[in-house]
Amino acid sequence: MPVVDAPTDSILHALASHGVTRRRFLEFCAATTALLALPQSYAPRIARALEDKKKPTVVWLEFQDCAGNTESFLRAVSPSVGDIVLDVLAVEYHETIMAAAGFQAEAAKDAAVAAGGHIVVVEGSVPTGANGVYCTIGGKSAVQILEEVTAGAAAVITVGTCSSYGGLPAASPNPTGAVGVPELVSGVPVINLPGCPMNVDNMVATIVHFLTFGALPAVDGEGRPLFAYGERIHDHCERRAHFDAGQFAQEWGDEGHRKGWCLYKMGCKGPSTFHNCPSIRWNGGTSWPIGAGHGCVGCSEPAFWDTMTPIYGRLPAPPGFGVTTSVEQIGAGIVGLTAAGFAAHGLIKAGQRKRAHKQDEAPIEIESATADDEEGAGQ
Amino acid sequence: MTTDATPRPQDEAIERTPSTELVVAKVWELPVRVVHWTIFVSVVVLSFIGFYIGTPFLSTGSDPGFLMGGMRAVHNLAAFTFIAAILARIIWAFTGNKWSHWDQFVPFAKDRRANAKDAFRYYVFLSDDPPHEAGHNALAGATYFVLFTMFLVQVLTGLALLSLESEGFLASTTGWVFSIAPIPWVRFLHHLIMWLTWGFVIHHVYSAWLVDSDAKAGLMSSIFTGWKRLPPEDL
Repeated sequence: MPVVDAPTDSILHALASHGVTRRRFLEFCAATTALLALPQSYAPRIARALEDKKKPTVVWLEFQDCAGNTESFLRAVSPSVGDIVLDVLAVEYHETIMAAAGFQAEAAKDAAVAAGGHIVVVEGSVPTGANGVYCTIGGKSAVQILEEVTAGAAAVITVGTCSSYGGLPAASPNPTGAVGVPELVSGVPVINLPGCPMNVDNMVATIVHFLTFGALPAVDGEGRPLFAYGERIHDHCERRAHFDAGQFAQEWGDEGHRKGWCLYKMGCKGPSTFHNCPSIRWNGGTSWPIGAGHGCVGCSEPAFWDTMTPIYGRLPAPPGFGVTTSVEQIGAGIVGLTAAGFAAHGLIKAGQRKRAHKQDEAPIEIESATADDEEGAGQ
Repeated sequence: MTTDATPRPQDEAIERTPSTELVVAKVWELPVRVVHWTIFVSVVVLSFIGFYIGTPFLSTGSDPGFLMGGMRAVHNLAAFTFIAAILARIIWAFTGNKWSHWDQFVPFAKDRRANAKDAFRYYVFLSDDPPHEAGHNALAGATYFVLFTMFLVQVLTGLALLSLESEGFLASTTGWVFSIAPIPWVRFLHHLIMWLTWGFVIHHVYSAWLVDSDAKAGLMSSIFTGWKRLPPEDL
């Protein structure tokens, strides 16, 4: 173990005590600089910030969630989990992975919050219906816990689509009145890392940015960091050339699908989804959904369950017509009905003209009556 | 057209004015006609190619072409032609003759309201006398207002969808569209308006033919030539 000239509560010290070499540390700094879309000249600055900084205190809250983001968090590969994430961050409270339980766990949380300046990570949506009874921990509702824990925090990071936008619990008809964290937190900077689950590399980069620059990274209109959500999946997809060429898989397992052609006609939501999945990928960069042969489901977009379904259809189904009806069928129906309607109108008009023609052959009174009407209309 | 200066026997029965001579008038100026046909051609191209982009019914198979890329390029080109035509028509609504003026599209004035009533009675079979108006009858003008509103929504949703692949001027000026409706619903609306436009085309051609066959003022040919043959008091 190399001796490290760094404060004992610093990140670098923590890394060294876990056998992370300085070379590996600098590799991580360079990779994170690239992920943040910063010039490589920033890598030394990031390294210096991480060397000097105290380990940030993290309180990880779970509300209406499936622990999928915790799973993603634990499976960070580069930077490796234990080395960077669990040990570099002082995770004082995390229901799923902490050793403490009950009053001990609550005490750890209270101590971290009392000290202030902590980072709050929230996983899962917050139910607001019926005074928050749908999710309570230790006798307090999720709304109360969120309010208490975010008071005095340095920043709030929402991980996963549920805590960012409400996600699946907030999907119609939203029985628990679930909302995303940004709707409830004010006075503390909030950044969204949506996805189902979020990609932990983006989370680490967000925290590194915060430690280095003292501020959260720049965000888009949906509160997501631009470095990770600034570009569309469709525009960086490895199958994009097949899209431009007009080569589409027509059904699962057909020749096009086996050849890795574009999944557009299979309902891929890559054209509607902003995320860096195609470049950062998952599981240590080995693969990602479209790479594995399944279309994107648009999980990192607001209200994705209500707007990106049907998953295997291109566009949402028209309301009130059932999920197998497409907007093209509705549209063609409207055109057909219009044509039928005007054809009927034409037939009635023809009948009306025929009658008028017969009357024209009758005595001449009608003529003067029509002329009187005309004067009244004031043309 | 078959209209001549001497009214045919069945026209005498519905003769509405003491005038005997019909006059010819240049109702549709050249810019109006050019805009009309530019919009028509670009809507045909945009609809066909837009349908392909939404539902790629052709496949290049194993031949590495640039089918979808080319289709999208033509769609964008036609879209900007369409936008240019709409902008030109909006300008002409303030600079053109009285029949192309913006107030022809909103039946607010008293005589336009009366004309709308005549037209309504004609369309719902209460009258066999077509609305007398050299330009658009008041109801037709109102449908063009609806059509132009649809076109503006179509342009806005189209530009917003185009901006998804860029971060520049378009994205910053049209990004707010997606705070009103999520991306898939913006696409949905863009598709739906295409179909509604074709519903309008059916109505438009039918109604023009219907009024022309009763009024016999040369309505159908006027969109090619600009001229109509009318009683002078209709001008």
